[in-house]
Amino acid sequence: MKVSMKKMSNTNKLNILLDNKAILIFLLLFIISCFVSPVFLSSRNLLNVIRQISVSAIVGIGFTCIIASANLDLSVGDMIGLLGAEMALLSRAGLPFGLVILIGVLTGAFCGFMNGMIGVSIGLPLFIVTLATGQIYNGITLLITHNSAVTGISPEFKALGQGYLFNIPTPIYIMVGVGIVIYLVLNKTTFGRHIIAIGGNKEAAHVSGIDTKKVTVGVYMLLGVCASVAAVVLTGRANSAQPSAGAGMALDSVAAVVIGGTPLSGGSGKVMGTVIGCLIVGTINNMLNLLGVDSNWQSVAKGLLILIAVSLDVLSDRYFKKRMEKA
Amino acid sequence: MTQEMSKDYILEMKGISKSFPGVKALSNANLRVKPGEVHALVGENGAGKSTLMNVLLGSIEPNDGEIIYMGKKVLFHSPHEALLNGISMVHQEMSLIPSVSVAENIWMGREPEFTRLGLISEKKRLGRTRALLDKYHINVDPKSIVRTLSIANMQLVEIARAISYNPRILIMDEPTSSLSDREILLLYDIIKDLAKEGTTVMFISHKLDEVFKLCDRITVMRDGSYINDFAADEITKEELIAQIAGRKISEMYPKIPCEIRDTVLEVRNLSHKGLFKDISFRVRSGEILGLFGLVGAGRTETMEGIFGIRSLDGGEIYLDGNKVTIRSPKEAIRHGLAMVTEDRRRNGIISNISVKYNISLANLSRISRGNIWIRKTKENGDTKALAEKLAVKTPSLNQPIGALSGGNQQKAIIARWLYTNPKVLILDEPTRGIDVGSKSEIHRMISALAGQGLAVVMISSECEEIMGISDHVIVFNNGHISGEFDRSEFNAKRLVQSAFDVNFKEVHEGINEENE
Repeated sequence: MKVSMKKMSNTNKLNILLDNKAILIFLLLFIISCFVSPVFLSSRNLLNVIRQISVSAIVGIGFTCIIASANLDLSVGDMIGLLGAEMALLSRAGLPFGLVILIGVLTGAFCGFMNGMIGVSIGLPLFIVTLATGQIYNGITLLITHNSAVTGISPEFKALGQGYLFNIPTPIYIMVGVGIVIYLVLNKTTFGRHIIAIGGNKEAAHVSGIDTKKVTVGVYMLLGVCASVAAVVLTGRANSAQPSAGAGMALDSVAAVVIGGTPLSGGSGKVMGTVIGCLIVGTINNMLNLLGVDSNWQSVAKGLLILIAVSLDVLSDRYFKKRMEKA
Repeated sequence: MTQEMSKDYILEMKGISKSFPGVKALSNANLRVKPGEVHALVGENGAGKSTLMNVLLGSIEPNDGEIIYMGKKVLFHSPHEALLNGISMVHQEMSLIPSVSVAENIWMGREPEFTRLGLISEKKRLGRTRALLDKYHINVDPKSIVRTLSIANMQLVEIARAISYNPRILIMDEPTSSLSDREILLLYDIIKDLAKEGTTVMFISHKLDEVFKLCDRITVMRDGSYINDFAADEITKEELIAQIAGRKISEMYPKIPCEIRDTVLEVRNLSHKGLFKDISFRVRSGEILGLFGLVGAGRTETMEGIFGIRSLDGGEIYLDGNKVTIRSPKEAIRHGLAMVTEDRRRNGIISNISVKYNISLANLSRISRGNIWIRKTKENGDTKALAEKLAVKTPSLNQPIGALSGGNQQKAIIARWLYTNPKVLILDEPTRGIDVGSKSEIHRMISALAGQGLAVVMISSECEEIMGISDHVIVFNNGHISGEFDRSEFNAKRLVQSAFDVNFKEVHEGINEENE
């Protein structure tokens, strides 16, 4: 059956604009940056910006699903540290690269499984569970690495983290790949629909026959897999596994997802928005770098950005509610 | 009825109307209360009793009407303002803070009364509390933490707190529902004492015996309107029930006669401790089974038990003659059950996702390849066809469902369940909070669905609705089945009586006595 396109009202147009306000903010920043520094627009600098955000984007993309399901994962940074260390140790021990990656991905899925499983079987809020498991993952990392970086890993890591393909850094391909896969999962599969449903209204989803526990565990496993991919790129970039590689990454991901327009209350997930959220953060950092500003200002800028993005969300919501009541 | 001057009344509410989006909660409601009387406010659930009291207290602003209190026209803006003006209310829900003591709860916000040099005198506060509790023979230690009290004692503390404001009017919303017999007698004494001291007591209750025992005057409400008021000694219980139930079934309920075929769902002796016990019934293809009763009588809980939303302690469920176990809604759906839940916002709609997604939600396998890949065109086509069939009015199916009116949300939820091709459709208060137009549309829809061979179970607290479209009615009272009626023997009075009476066994004895 053919579905006729409905004419869009003005409200709808405005809605779409506000829905994609991350893009607006990004374009604005981009234009400002062009004026502020002549170096900014060079392809080398631009690729550099994208390469720098690739790891946080890979994690952020996975995190989008977590937030879409109205959950949080505070352990993801520590998980990345653990997965990086594990893979580096196995690689140094001489295991073939392919097997190392496979074990890394499975461990990532397993960590996610544990997070989800502990939460749903005991009925604990997942952010508390992941607060705890994060400590555990971090402790294990420090134990197996004896508090120091793991070096002497196979060269394939470096190729993935620092290499180029057709003059474009490999991490960018990996980021785009992860983005496409998660986008498809979230928007085109029944599992994705279930994620959005439990994020929007868990009880209604349960009554509609959705196994909310299974879906919750599934989302955490998905993030675990994303974390393992991020760990590979991160390890390759440093050509070694740093025990503290993932420090602060959980909250950075939340920031990117929120700036990208996915509401913290769940029920919707914008993969593209998250990537743009990362780009915004990356562009600001880059600009401050180019201007030679003290790098500690980056943190201040990120904080302001989060406030602006979230306020815009709340204010536009309120605006539309008012309009609807009038109608 | 004699015409009296308005100065005879401590409180007069005249022509109060209140509309919520799509619903008329109160239309031209009146209330007249004399000082020092115990005045009952009765009516079915949803008749507008609580809304009227909330208008009085200032938590709901009326669209129309006036309130005259102590000879002056007033309009309170908050319950606190009403309280300061001498109107105190004991709500059905507990409003105490569980983690602090009885004394602290009672005087919460009035600590300055016991404060010297910025410090609270615990001794003085405990003393005042003890005097208050003793005066009304409430046997609770002022020092005990509220959490540790029984539900009944919490209720009594709540009442003590309301009294401690020395109100001119004390409103109680079903105060005895959580009390045992002993405490109920204590409450009656408290009310009599208060009345003796000149306090006016407004009493909302479903227990008619209690109303007659305690009250001087009774106001009946129905469908948001004032029906009549009576002196308690000039009306019999039977007359009162007839007033509550209303007289005729309006044209609103189009019942399509249809052939009733085989039994689809049968349940035997379903029980859940503290909620319902020994519930047995069956529903056949083409039949609409109505479940009538008061809120809290166990109807919703029973159907939730059948649908796997809550567990069952005992009993058996048969579908098409085969015994089944249902542990989750997922399994219930697989067996061909569908349930439109009572609280649409809580567990019906997913308000921020589109109407389309809401409709396809319970049967995604039907629009996906291998239960994985969603086929967009199939989803668009199917949901559009269903939405059109059920006349869901929305600018677009991509609109978030939360933006629709209650009636259209409900139709979309019914569409969701029809998409699962159910054999049994359970509807819990399908027209609550829905405007009159959509209401009759939904009734027509339910009738038509039964006509197509669906077995329908409809829970409703509205007597007219139940009698309007059901083929068979079961009445719940206090977790038990207290009455069963076939369409030929429908009688509003008897239905309401089965639902309202404290002890339905007594009712049957009462009926027998009448016959003798």
